[in-house]
Amino acid sequence: MIAILRMEGTNNEEDIYNAFAALKYPVEMVHLKQFTGEAKKELEKSIFDYDGIMIPGGFSAGDYIRAGAIFGARLKKISKELKEFVREGRIIGGICNGFQVLTEAGLLPGIDDVIVSKPQISLGVNDSGRFECRHIFLKHENKCFFTEKYEKNEILQVPIAHAEGKFITSKRILEKLKENGQIIFRYVNRNGEYAGYPFNPNGSMENIAGISNPEGNVFGMMPHPERVFYPYLHQEKKKTGDGRRFFESIIEYLRRRI
Amino acid sequence: MIEEISLDVDDNGLMEISRKLGIGLNLEEMRKVREYFKSEGRNPRDIELQAIGQAWSEHCSYKSSKPVLKKFIFGIKAKQNLLVIEEDAGVVDFNKNYAYVVALESHNHPSAIEPYGGAATGIGGILRDVVCMGAKPIALVDPLFFGDLNFDYKKLPKGVKHPKFIQSGVIAGIRDYGNRVGVPTVAGVTYYDESYLTNCLVNVGCVGIVKKNRIIRSRITKKNGKKGDVFILLGGRTGRDGIHGVTFASTELKEKSEKEDRSAVQVGNPIIKEPLMHVCLEAVEKNLVKAMKDLGGGGLSCCADEMSYPEFGAVINLETVLLKEKDMKPWEIWISESQERMMMLVDKKNVDKVIEICDLWDIEYSIVGELTDDRRIKVYYHGEKIVDMDIKFLVEPPVYNRPYTIKEIKEHEKEIKEPVYEETILKLLSSPNIRSKAFVIQQYDHEVGARTITKPLQGKIESLTHSDSVVLKPLPEDYRGIAIATDSNPSLMKISPYWGAKNIIDEVCRKIVSSGAIPHSFADCLNFGNPEKPERMGEFYEACRGLGEFAKALGVPFVSGNVSFYNESEYYSVIPTPVILGIGIIDDIRKSITTDFKRNGDLIYLIGDIKREMAGSEYYKLYGYNFGYIPKPDPEELKNKIKSILEARKLIKACHDVGAGGLAVTVCEMMIGGNVGASIELSKIDMRTDYKLFSESSCFVCEVRERDSEKFEKIMKKHNLRFYRIGRVSGNKLKITDKEKSIILPLHEIKEAFL
Repeated sequence: MIAILRMEGTNNEEDIYNAFAALKYPVEMVHLKQFTGEAKKELEKSIFDYDGIMIPGGFSAGDYIRAGAIFGARLKKISKELKEFVREGRIIGGICNGFQVLTEAGLLPGIDDVIVSKPQISLGVNDSGRFECRHIFLKHENKCFFTEKYEKNEILQVPIAHAEGKFITSKRILEKLKENGQIIFRYVNRNGEYAGYPFNPNGSMENIAGISNPEGNVFGMMPHPERVFYPYLHQEKKKTGDGRRFFESIIEYLRRRI
Repeated sequence: MIEEISLDVDDNGLMEISRKLGIGLNLEEMRKVREYFKSEGRNPRDIELQAIGQAWSEHCSYKSSKPVLKKFIFGIKAKQNLLVIEEDAGVVDFNKNYAYVVALESHNHPSAIEPYGGAATGIGGILRDVVCMGAKPIALVDPLFFGDLNFDYKKLPKGVKHPKFIQSGVIAGIRDYGNRVGVPTVAGVTYYDESYLTNCLVNVGCVGIVKKNRIIRSRITKKNGKKGDVFILLGGRTGRDGIHGVTFASTELKEKSEKEDRSAVQVGNPIIKEPLMHVCLEAVEKNLVKAMKDLGGGGLSCCADEMSYPEFGAVINLETVLLKEKDMKPWEIWISESQERMMMLVDKKNVDKVIEICDLWDIEYSIVGELTDDRRIKVYYHGEKIVDMDIKFLVEPPVYNRPYTIKEIKEHEKEIKEPVYEETILKLLSSPNIRSKAFVIQQYDHEVGARTITKPLQGKIESLTHSDSVVLKPLPEDYRGIAIATDSNPSLMKISPYWGAKNIIDEVCRKIVSSGAIPHSFADCLNFGNPEKPERMGEFYEACRGLGEFAKALGVPFVSGNVSFYNESEYYSVIPTPVILGIGIIDDIRKSITTDFKRNGDLIYLIGDIKREMAGSEYYKLYGYNFGYIPKPDPEELKNKIKSILEARKLIKACHDVGAGGLAVTVCEMMIGGNVGASIELSKIDMRTDYKLFSESSCFVCEVRERDSEKFEKIMKKHNLRFYRIGRVSGNKLKITDKEKSIILPLHEIKEAFL
């Protein structure tokens, strides 16, 4: 069972829910309060009731301070449980605002520890200085449990929709990410080349669009695979939706794990 | 805290009271108020006069527009009408189990004073209008009209903000609110004209989807309510923001508006709205809501009155309302238009269940009152009765048949010299009302919800062009879709409100049909000047006549709308600007058509009769020609075009309506989206080249595979349509030939001009 975690201001939860539901994998919406003991007794849940947690996009708590910071901080209340959760090989995925939450919560990059207390990655304000929503090209450079069904170096078309997606990290972490093959997606042009703005929509370091932890079971990306689950959602007509295999990969991994 | 006011004064005294309280009532209205309280045998309290001022404002009561709307706009019968005109939003049949909901409204006055907050709260308000019908919002639209962006700062009238400042504030307001609540902004207009300098127009529309057995009404009748049912007020707290919003919107803007009326602009909070929508829709889904209404213009006062009228009454305990600040006066609480508030009518036994949902989402609520059966509105404040009035008196204000004069329109054409074509095409492509709106569109999340099938910008990822309409797929389980288009035509409206209005309906239908959908309903937002001036009232009358006649002939109903008068100042009055939100239905979203050319070698057709109708065209405007014949679309001809395009749908690879800039711009836009050139041959059409290229007559351009051309032409002939095979998709430039004339423009130059 997948939990889609929400709080006030997350607003892509239905899109992710529908993707899992379409693949007939059990999925449930859970309010953050139900995990952190802030909800009524009868509504309380444990993260260990689930094989995976997905953190959807949106503007959690409004993102009036750094995007994802408040959600990330609230998530830290259950750090201990989350650590255990990741160590057991269950999955945590974040898309867009969800990616920002995972970096703020210290769950990514997962290099020094499963969770670090201070964020090591920042998703900063786009170089263009504004929110941008459009379709872009992604290159699948390394596999993780979220992307096993894509070919290596395959080029996908996926929409972005964010104001804060510029991937920034330290030299040390960047080197480690490369070394460990943690860079899953990079922004490219139609031919698969790194091509700067507008193909790299936010000025991300080394065109990085999505990364996983070294083990491959915690993953975050800025673009929205759930918004191209079906072929007819693409900007340019396609035979199948490029986002579908993202969800199929997760499901296949979870089925294998159980 | 509460003041009793004696109306036992002469006419001057009455007007003094109206002015002092800021309630905007005229002498005739004040006399009626005096008469009413005489019949009640007592003096009114300040809060009661405030309540009347709100309810009787133009904004709330439509007192100037109602007779005209009734004559032309209301009452177009159609089998898809489920609940139209009478509620906050129109409800229209979608499929067996679902209906779609449409609302369109203006937020002009607040946006002129405070662009960011004004526009943001416009989005907030329109979302509530849809949610209060029990519907989930699935799309926003935002037609915007600003002054000339290059207007000389030194010439700016005092107290007026520069169009650049207004534009950036408005777009940011829509972006920051719309994106945060997670409803995609999919369509709109950005139009520039000097007449909008002192009064920008910010219209906002919303489309929602609702299960037919969960449609909620705001009006309480014996069917959905009973004495003793409970009013729950939920969402944001009540503050001093948004006091006198509706009376402010019912007068002309003045230099001092900036200082005096800023408190009339509300403060929005999307992060209350987002969970508030969850709470409302969850309560609706669980069948806990008997009636629901949003708090908008006139605040609690108008909300409680309009919900209870005509079959019930209400008792409200004002001290239960949660406040943003402590020392608010009762009248302020009663009429504040603070955002993010909803009123629910709930059966006593279900109150706890609603509270449980509120608690999970951290939404504040208070139980503010009860339904009664005495048809009166009674308000208590810590036990003291401070309002006790007949609701009918409040909700049925005087209606005015305002005098109007209709300007006579003289059409004439003059000979003009032929232009340099290449230069003219590039100038048109880069003109503010034609060039790419990507900068605006891409700041809005138009993909959230994963149901935007054809996009507001269409074509190749690296080379996007404008769409005609956007197709959405509202339900995961059904391929049936909704096409959304917005349109107005200020340049024609300026010349002829009657024909301008007809052209708007014609074009909005063509935009829907271009996507492969059939026009199904309209919402209208009518932005005009001061209706007390006969000339303005004449413009309103003529525009409504044009809209109504054309829509009636098509059999497509107006299901919802809004009138915004007083869009004027001592310097300017806006061009009469009716904005139409058109909704189309497409049986299968996979069959939708986009505007971008698809393949080298395909044939290009022009469908429709292109005429020398140049008045108001972008071409004539570019060169300052203020003459020419007005395009006169015919609804019967349009019906034919609709039929034939839809019949030929599967043969059409790209389709674009001929709009601003004419055929030349239309073809360029299709090229840009396809990132490909076109060669066009026009000698079969008998007119001078510039009229052919730049006339904005009611036409379509279609791309068709060569192998399908026979079938396609047969369909066009069957419907007696004029059509021309005008060329092919080819190469990387635009090549136009017309007898000995030859016009060549490389694609990259076209793109540079457009972007």
